[in-house]
Amino acid sequence: MPANDANPPAPLVALAGWLVPGAGYFLIGHRTRALVVGVSVIFLFVLGMLIAGVGVVEAPALGGAGTLVGRILAKPWFLGQVMTGPIGLICAMISQGVSDTYPAARSRLGEIGTLYTAVAGMLNLLAIIDASHRAATK
Amino acid sequence: MNLVLAYIPFLTPMPVWGYWPVLLFPLCAIVAIVYKSIKCSTMSQVPREATALFIWILIGMATAAAILVGVVKVMERV
Repeated sequence: MPANDANPPAPLVALAGWLVPGAGYFLIGHRTRALVVGVSVIFLFVLGMLIAGVGVVEAPALGGAGTLVGRILAKPWFLGQVMTGPIGLICAMISQGVSDTYPAARSRLGEIGTLYTAVAGMLNLLAIIDASHRAATK
Repeated sequence: MNLVLAYIPFLTPMPVWGYWPVLLFPLCAIVAIVYKSIKCSTMSQVPREATALFIWILIGMATAAAILVGVVKVMERV
């Protein structure tokens, strides 16, 4: 799909791609690419939560014992999950709210759900980098 | 049957314990589609390229699984 004449700055394209998966491509005129990437990333993230429950999206505690880096590294998958954008943050908030009633699955399905959601975020990170690079070199 | 009825979408794990390896297919398919959507210069190339990549990923996974099974069998004998 050829790009249109709009030439948004690369940081704006990156931000849009994080806020809504695929939106970075949409801003630079790659609409089919935007649709395919956006739908695929969101579908993978939602499928991960359908498989294992929203509990797999666990945000690290910002307060408490230990260093902040140590607390983040205790839940490294969240670094991938948060790259899906606000959907990842909202799911982490929901997960915290329901964690007492519905704790995260610790079985193999829990691992698969975590993998799905984190891979969705990592794929979106690739898309963000590519879209902003295309915007910068246009 | 009770496990299926007890399933609450997005809250409890999906009752697919018996056939979890099938879950590899959607993951590999979407990785192939998104990766090729990023790499290909035109989107018309994506279906063919993503299908080829999807098959290669599955072949790679099957090979890795076979090697690991072999390693485990050897270690069991030692």
